[in-house]
Amino acid sequence: MKEQISALMDGELEGRAAEEAIESLRGEGEALESWRMYHLISDGMRDSRLLSAGLTARVSERLAAEPTVLAPGRLPGRTPAQRFAYAAAASVAAIGLVSWLAFGPQQQVAKEPIAKIETPITPVTVQLTSSANDYLLAHQGFSPRVSLQGMVPYVRTVAERPGESNK
Amino acid sequence: MNVRRVAAALSVPLVLAAGAAIAQSPETLAWLRKIQDATRNLSYTGTFVYQQGNKNETSRITRLAPADVERLEVLDGLPRELVRTRDTVRCYLPESKVVKVEKRTPDRSFPALLPDQLNALAQHYDISLGETRRIGGFECQGVMLTPKDNLRYGYRLYADRSTGMLVRAVTVDSAGNQVEQFTFTQLSLGHVTPEMVKSRHASANFRVEDAQAQPARLAGWSLTSELPGFHKIVELTRRLGESKPVGQVVYSDGLAAVSVFIEPLQGRGEPQRPGMASMGAIHVYTRQVANHMVTVVGEAPAASVQRIGNAVEYRRP
Repeated sequence: MKEQISALMDGELEGRAAEEAIESLRGEGEALESWRMYHLISDGMRDSRLLSAGLTARVSERLAAEPTVLAPGRLPGRTPAQRFAYAAAASVAAIGLVSWLAFGPQQQVAKEPIAKIETPITPVTVQLTSSANDYLLAHQGFSPRVSLQGMVPYVRTVAERPGESNK
Repeated sequence: MNVRRVAAALSVPLVLAAGAAIAQSPETLAWLRKIQDATRNLSYTGTFVYQQGNKNETSRITRLAPADVERLEVLDGLPRELVRTRDTVRCYLPESKVVKVEKRTPDRSFPALLPDQLNALAQHYDISLGETRRIGGFECQGVMLTPKDNLRYGYRLYADRSTGMLVRAVTVDSAGNQVEQFTFTQLSLGHVTPEMVKSRHASANFRVEDAQAQPARLAGWSLTSELPGFHKIVELTRRLGESKPVGQVVYSDGLAAVSVFIEPLQGRGEPQRPGMASMGAIHVYTRQVANHMVTVVGEAPAASVQRIGNAVEYRRP
């Protein structure tokens, strides 16, 4: 059975064989245990943050905590055009998800996981005031760079600011 | 689990390990150590240009190694001066007749990259030897620190091949563009006298602004999430200019550092306005949190500095 489960995960079972393997996952049998174990191993090898261990329990917990919506009803006030736009957006999102699923793991396998910045809202750009030098001086003493460069980077802490002049 | 799958998964760490071994060979780490030793052990005097954006600023730096004293004079614009001894930095501002004093806090020396810290750098940077190049009459070895993510800048260091003295340091962004640069245009090693590292304002009657830094716990203040690789290295209270005590927390990845300053509103005469300001590789991001002004200052990309700033929170302890 274990071979069947492994083959199922690799997408190598078709038709009847696949149905049988999926059927064997019903209930808390050995097949289901193998299924979980193989996913845990494969996540571990890919260094996935979201290891499958306990995932089932976590999802069940979250589902149990979800409020039950008794009467969802129609969303008011949407024109057919808007509905189309939502549907289109949903399709685009679906394409995005599919391509992420298709390319995500390979990318992860190809190189080390890389921390990426999600671009936050761009803040207002402001000028440094003359008091900024106080912060820079206070900060510079803790920059490990000083041990490679001596005082050289300190020059930033005494820069002239707009509004200051040579009196 | 099928065999191909296992083989494919196993081969990846091997390839990575091989790549990492090349990137941080003992030779490259030895070069970083050589630069650090030269910075500490050599006496020198030289003129260097600090370049950022379209601005160039020339300064002179002199170090007397046996006394562990260093003096920096700005040669363009306002004639400002900094003198660093073993435990104190003095910043002389002759135009306002003020000397700012930063003493090292009792629990911490000025930062040094210790051997194990140098090794730890390889977690966040690929360190490799670059080309050799002639700069200011010195035959220089390039040492490249390329960040493994876009949370920090990269560095191209060029050091004199015979002494290890750092002649040029370029900070680059993730696209490889120069953010700022320090280059010696003239440098002479040795022949430094105590007179040369003494401030010309040493005996002047300047008003003293002492930072009075003290190690402290800033109760209630924390980051909802730290920036990957940046760990808290110090937490203290201090003064900025003539301010009331201000909190300062410093995070570092071993090479870049980011400070978070926390001060009550209405604390200062001329506060930094909320928003993002920058000078070369330094970004300054200011926002209000719980009736305090939070100012994040760091040698890191704007998005990193902003991310730390946005993670600052206060919870009633």
